This record gives sequence, structure tokens and C-alpha cells, in this order.
Amino acid sequence: MAQAQVPVTVLTGYLGAGKTTLLNRILSEQHGKKYAVIVNEFGELGVDNDLVVNADEEVFEMNNGCICCTVRGDLIRIIEGLMKRKDKFDGILVETTGLADPGPVAQTFFTDDEVKAKTRLDAIITVVDAKHFLGQLDQGSEAEQQIAFADVILLNKTDLVSEDELKKVEAKINSINRYAHIFRTQKSQIELNAILDKGAFDLKRILEFEPEFLHHGHDHDHEEEVKSLSLTADRPVDPDKFQKWMGALLQLRGPDIFRSKGILAIDGAPRRYVYQGVHMMMDSDWGTPWKDGETRSSKLGFIGRNLDGENLQRGFNDCLK
Amino acid sequence: MKLDLANPAWRQTLPPGRSVAGDAPAVACAFNKDGSLGGFALGDGRVRLLPADISAGETAAGEPLHGGVVLALVDDPAGDGFVSGGDDGRLLRIAADGRTSELACQKGKWFEHIAGHRATGAIAASAGKNAYVVKAGEVREFGPHQSTVAALDFSKDGSRIACAHYGGVTVWSIGQVVLPPRRFAWRGSHVALKWSTDGKFIATGTQENDIHVWRMAQATDMRMQGYPAKVKSLSWTADARFLYTSAQPVFTAWPFSGKGPEGKPPLQFGDEGAGLMTVVAAHPAAEFVAGGYDSGELQLGDIKTKRSVVLKMADGSAITCLAWSPDGFRLAVGNEAGTLLVLDLRR
Repeated sequence: MAQAQVPVTVLTGYLGAGKTTLLNRILSEQHGKKYAVIVNEFGELGVDNDLVVNADEEVFEMNNGCICCTVRGDLIRIIEGLMKRKDKFDGILVETTGLADPGPVAQTFFTDDEVKAKTRLDAIITVVDAKHFLGQLDQGSEAEQQIAFADVILLNKTDLVSEDELKKVEAKINSINRYAHIFRTQKSQIELNAILDKGAFDLKRILEFEPEFLHHGHDHDHEEEVKSLSLTADRPVDPDKFQKWMGALLQLRGPDIFRSKGILAIDGAPRRYVYQGVHMMMDSDWGTPWKDGETRSSKLGFIGRNLDGENLQRGFNDCLK
Repeated sequence: MKLDLANPAWRQTLPPGRSVAGDAPAVACAFNKDGSLGGFALGDGRVRLLPADISAGETAAGEPLHGGVVLALVDDPAGDGFVSGGDDGRLLRIAADGRTSELACQKGKWFEHIAGHRATGAIAASAGKNAYVVKAGEVREFGPHQSTVAALDFSKDGSRIACAHYGGVTVWSIGQVVLPPRRFAWRGSHVALKWSTDGKFIATGTQENDIHVWRMAQATDMRMQGYPAKVKSLSWTADARFLYTSAQPVFTAWPFSGKGPEGKPPLQFGDEGAGLMTVVAAHPAAEFVAGGYDSGELQLGDIKTKRSVVLKMADGSAITCLAWSPDGFRLAVGNEAGTLLVLDLRR
């Protein structure tokens, strides 16, 4: 029964941000689609649906000597079980607990062959409580990590704060993750098309990612803060040097680098080389061909902690022809 | 026994048997105690019971017995039918006439793995982090384990059960005297488990595509690496001399007679399949073995002569389950597309 890979959307966010409200809307609204939902607290959802599955957030370390290589063992099991169903569904939503690190969930889709064969990670959605977000940032690294991993951010409960406060929250979110798409919402009201089936992890769609240039001059951020940065190059990339540099970088800094993606103009190659990763795990492929006369420039994007932009740019420059 | 598993005629035509199109992926299959029925667990909640006798009439598909997917099925060690577990949290006894009774219920959990012990009539099943043993109408709980139980099996004499989970294997004595469990630790997630037919070894398949085997007597362990995929199917030969493993293109058997498999390559034989073996089942008595592939092929082999035959299945859908009848004359086969076969391999 060959079928296309089922898209999986991961839903993160602090307790009380509005995840359950969003899930209830997805499950109860008439949109003609069927979603399986993996939740961590049974019974919180008001909807009685046999496609709602209770999970235990079992985070497993892979026994391969890589400390940041953690996966969600329960997800592997549950997805395998769901795929045996007769009635197929349009997508799977995975809700994580309020304090969860989204890393292991995302890495599960890079690691397990069977999960990879039957499903694809579509996007990570983070629901943010506009009123309490800035305070939550001070309570630990979770709120920051959830922003760092996000492809889509629902800035929720906007009715509870002023426009000025909202702008402050948005600026903070942007400073952590400038690639995510932010939607302002109230009561998690959002057009589902805007957040589901985004293909954020689809290598074919990486071309849609447009990194901004490094902002020099506003680098008085604390070193340990999470931020995004982009590197660019106009000269072609030497593939061997790049592989060596990136391999060493991820080996050394993998735990601090949450997300990375890039489009490379490899020396002599007619097509773009695209990649993306979560911590130390990476997927790559050849993308669309360069057109005649097109400027062949490369761009890399990182979201992580303790990133030294100048140092990274120097390292990247050394990989160029 | 009149069986020739390397019958070249089967390359062209399947052995005689019964083929039924189920409506949903086959998840597990088994024969009941007297071998008169092949039972198939399906992804639509149904358990199909097919008469092993080809001349017998067709049985109706019946109503779904479980709410969602039937996740596990074994022959009932204390009855004439089967025991099934589902993602509706129910563990059911299914009699040969199709009547059902509930053995246990864990709402919100999935009954994912079941094992039966013929001599004692005990059933072990896991739901979430706990294992449950059902015997003579009594249900006892063992656990919780440090993660969801990913596989379980009985010891040869039925006095213990072994549960695989993240971080290793836990062995519980299931007698009336409650003893602390014995733990066999190995880092990582263990996703398959089979206790050897002589009771001396416990083998697991891991998330990292390895096999891990513990020697019960000395509590020493060994690790076999080099598989391209997770080994989710393990099968010990009836004489416990070999452990068959899936996830290879040919039959792959580790020798456990003499000094054991350490430092030796596994015995490999048979035709290279189009893909990897997804499920392997050693014959209950003789030196035969059956293997199903992700490409939908089925291979039958003989470890003594190293002869084998590949059977082409019509739909090319991955084989998900295999089971030998107790007398070893018939083979039940199920695949992802829901094709259910009971083959008669007698010459």
C-alpha cells in the first residue's frame, strides 16, 4: 500500500500558551482533512477521537557515542502503529509538553529509517503567550529553544497586551530566530492552511529561505544567548573543504546549533547543493540547476547558542575556491 | 516428514493454499494449537480466521474486534483459538468459533506485544511500561519498566518473562513468590526480543541496527553489528543451535552450539532477495526456515543442504508476518497490502 509520506507537524510552546486550544480547533473544525494527534496529556483535549494517541515523551539517547543524538522512542513506536491503520490520514500532529526540548522530536525524523520512509517532518510550530513570553525567557532555556527550533510562531493572546508590548516580544523573537514566520493570533485562531503542510524541512523548498545579512553593530547581545545568523559567499565552494569544516563544526558545536540550512554553489556543479540539519543530524541533496548567467552565490543560516559570526564567516571563507 | 522446501516448481507457482484479500495491512499471524486455523491480525481491528484445510469453505470477514489496529496476535496457550491485543487497550481471547472474551483492559494504552507459554497456559502481554501475565483467570502486573516495553517472551519453562525496553532487558519470575527482577543492561533502545528455545540465551535487536545476546548462566553478553537496518525479527531454531535474524538479503543464522558465535561470522545462505528480510521464522521441528522481504518476496530454505527457493508474490507488498503451523506443514503469510495466505507445503 504505497502512499506518500504523511506530513508531521510538531507543536511546541509553554504551558498555557494555547497549544490545546489550537489542537481542539484542528480536530473539531470542518476542513475536510483527517489528522492523527499525539498528545502528552490524555483527556486535556475536549474532543473524543480515536485518532488521538497518548504519548509518554520517552527521550532516548542513541547508543552511538553522540551526546546530542537523542530521539523520541515513543514516537517511533506510535508512528509505526498508526501507519498500520486501514484508514489513512492527511497528517500527524505531535504535541510536546510545555518544557520539552523540540530537538529529540525533530531528530527522530532524521534518524529512524522506518519513520523516515513513512512520514516527513513538515514544520515545527511554536505557540507563544504574548503576555508571559518575556518572563518565561528568564525561567530557563526551554522557551528560547522552542523559538529557536520554530518554523512557524503563533504569537497568541495578542488581545491581552498593548501594541508596544507586542512589538517588544516580536523583536525578541526575531533576535532569536529571524527565519520563522510569525502570526499574531487570539485564542489560537489561524487559517490552518497557513500553518500546516509548510514543507519547512523539504529540501526542495529550501530555496524559499532568504537569509538576511549579518547585522553588524548590534552585537552587544550576551554571548550565551540564542540567535540566528547567516553567512554568504560569491565564490564557488570547494566541496571537500566544506564537508570537513561543517563536519568539524557540528561535531564540536552540534549541541549549540539548533537548526541550520544552506544553499551552496559547489565548484563545477550545475545544480545547487542544499542541506539542512537539526543539531548534528543533516540531510542534503542536489537542488535545482543554476540558470545561465545567474549569480552563483551560497548562503548558510544558523540558529544557535554562542555563535560567533565573524569566526564562522572566516571558516566558511576558507572553504571557497 | 514429506517436505521439500527447495521445490523449484514453486518459483513459478505458489504452493497450494488459500489466499484472501484482507481490507487492511496484516500486522501479525499465528496458527491455533491444533493447527486447524490460521489467524491474522489486521489494521482495521479485524482478526481473520482462515481454515488451514484448503477444501473447507471460506469464513466471513467478521466485525472488527478492536477499536483501531490489532497490534499483536498469538495462539492461545490455554484455549483453542488466539489472543489479540489492540490500540484500543484491550487484550482479547478469541475462541476457534470466533467468540471473544476480554482478558485485560488498559484504557488509553496500547496492548502491543503478546507471548504465550504452551505448557503452563500463561499469556504475557505488554501495555505501556507494564507487562501483564494472565493465567487461570488471574491478571498480574509486572513493572513499570523504565520505558514502554518493546518486546517480551517467556523462558523455556514458563517460570519467567523477559521484557525489552530502553536500557536493556528485565527478567521477572512470575511464580507466586515475588522476587526482585533481574536486569540485563545495555545502553540504547531494545526493540525486539526472543528467549532461546533452550532457555540459555536472550537475544534482542536494537535501535542502532545491532543484535545483543545475554548468556543467562554467566550474565555475560555479546553484540553483533553490521546490519543495514533494525533487526526486528529474531527466530531461534527448535534445537537452539541457531538464531535467525532479519534485516539481511539472505538467511542469516548465528551459531550458538559449542562456544557460541563470538568471533565467528554468521552462517548465510539462500538467494539474495530483492530487498531486506523483514521477518524470519524457523521451522518448529525441522531444519527449515521461511523469510519474508520488504520487496514482497518469500524465501524458503534448508540450513542443512543450504538449498532454497524464492516464491514470487503477486502484489510486491512488504511481508509483515509469518507463522508455521504446529505440525510444520503449513505456513501463514501476511503482507502490508492485506494479502493473507495459508500455504500447504506438503509434497
